[in-house]
Amino acid sequence: MALLEVDGVGRRFGGVQAVADVTFALQPGEVFGVIGPNGAGKTTLFNLIAGLFEPSSGRVVLDGTDITGWPSDSVARLGIGRTFQGVHTFKGVTVRENLQRAALLAHSFDPLRHFGNLMRRRSSVDVAVCEDVARFVGLHDRLEETAAGLSYGLKKLLGIGMALMQQPRLLLMDEPAAGLNPTEKRRLGEVIRDIRQMRCIDVMLVEHDMKLIMETCDRILVMNQGRPIALGDPTQVRSDPAVIDAYLGVDYDFA
Amino acid sequence: MKKIIFAVVVLAVAGVPLAIGGKYALHVGSMIAITATLALSMNLMLRIGQVSMAQGAFMGMGAYSSALLTMKLDWSPMVAMLASAVVVGMLAVALGFVFLRIKGVFFVLLTYAFAQIVNLSIQEASTWTGGNNGLYGIPKLAILGFRMVEPSAFYLCALAVAVLAWAVVHSVFRSRIGAILDSIEQDEGLSRALGTNALRWRVAVFGLSAVLASLAGSLFAHHLNFLSPANFTFLQNVDLLIMNIVGGVSSPTGAVLGALILVPLPELLRDAKQYELLIYGGILLGSLLFLRDGLVGRLGRLSFARRAVQTMREAGHGAA
Repeated sequence: MALLEVDGVGRRFGGVQAVADVTFALQPGEVFGVIGPNGAGKTTLFNLIAGLFEPSSGRVVLDGTDITGWPSDSVARLGIGRTFQGVHTFKGVTVRENLQRAALLAHSFDPLRHFGNLMRRRSSVDVAVCEDVARFVGLHDRLEETAAGLSYGLKKLLGIGMALMQQPRLLLMDEPAAGLNPTEKRRLGEVIRDIRQMRCIDVMLVEHDMKLIMETCDRILVMNQGRPIALGDPTQVRSDPAVIDAYLGVDYDFA
Repeated sequence: MKKIIFAVVVLAVAGVPLAIGGKYALHVGSMIAITATLALSMNLMLRIGQVSMAQGAFMGMGAYSSALLTMKLDWSPMVAMLASAVVVGMLAVALGFVFLRIKGVFFVLLTYAFAQIVNLSIQEASTWTGGNNGLYGIPKLAILGFRMVEPSAFYLCALAVAVLAWAVVHSVFRSRIGAILDSIEQDEGLSRALGTNALRWRVAVFGLSAVLASLAGSLFAHHLNFLSPANFTFLQNVDLLIMNIVGGVSSPTGAVLGALILVPLPELLRDAKQYELLIYGGILLGSLLFLRDGLVGRLGRLSFARRAVQTMREAGHGAA
């Protein structure tokens, strides 16, 4: 059975059909990519799955549970983690506290049920897990630095680390490579593959960077003007006439 | 060591009204303790990034409810006080699910409107509350049948409530809950994406702040033995806000410090009444300009500076 099923999902903003009739199913164990020119509706599709917007049509099903229109925190608690376009971290605190807070925010949502546990000191959260995740994304020697002082690339890795603290079943990544230099992109590609292989978390990513997409994704959904135009493995997608047509004149390098 | 110094300072300050003695000093001391509890309830709201104009209304509800329960139903003041706090807290939770969906200026206006409704209701329900003529003859506070007729006994009760309120706010923000609340305040989108129901946490804080305000209101009623709607206007909230700014928003100690400075001020300036607002304004302006985290922030930096000097000295000795 598919982990995530997206069935005929669409979203209209006033007169604009931002996303229309998107259908796909995520197979267990794959890295799934979504690409398309600017304004294709990729991020909107993401936000429809993650619960930031409610779909105007269609259904989103996670592992048999219909999560269509659920608020983002409920979706997160059911096992969908996400990273943001740009960086979102708690700026003023250390890398360690960012990771600790992520675990806390993910696992103690009910004030009454967790009261005893919650009244313990802030700094006591999951020390071993924090260090493990920090090592995984390569931030273990920067645990005591404040998040604001990290480079852009490291902040993005911290964002991924925080999403991992949530122990999600599926990780949505919104343009993880945007703003990274080639070295950082290579490192990111490794981390994404490790997430899939070592942590057994399925990954779905929206990306502009064709090299990263082609190298890391098992299957790719191509969108244009809100509609899906192709779905298949990287070689299929690369040679699809509809895809070439959509990108024509945009000077994309299919690496 | 720091904790011991802190405790000694608190005991010394708390002991001042008892040392001076007399009805007047103990009255001022009691008012400081009651207002400190209120300032703490405002501090909770400020910590989650919401300026609430409803704290005065919650105080009024606690005051009138406690007064009426003791006067009309002959309840013991302590039971009335606790029951009022529970009911006002539950009401705040129910309202919070609506109010706290709204942020910033709109939240200020919404809570302001709510406070006006409460105040007007108190004025209009004159058969019960005495309306604008006020409510007279509220019994003194009594705990387990022991009536707090002595001003010093009441002062100690008000002090105990204030200390308890401080301890609750302090331990909440030192705990994991504090980390969650700080996170929600700093980046709500991220906090929610990680799985936290931000609204529920804000509502819980709103409820707790209402409980503190209600307790302070009940103490106020049993202390003055007279209530009027004029005691619970929107200006009350502005005062609480100023106390937090002067003392420092980032810690509950700041709220208490603010009350400690601003409550006795009119009493100290009795002979210079015409300059009272001027001095008040000067203090506010000065703390906005020069004390970024209020007095607490300033004291924190002083002790940091002292530590730095000491470390340098020790390093110097080592080298010599």
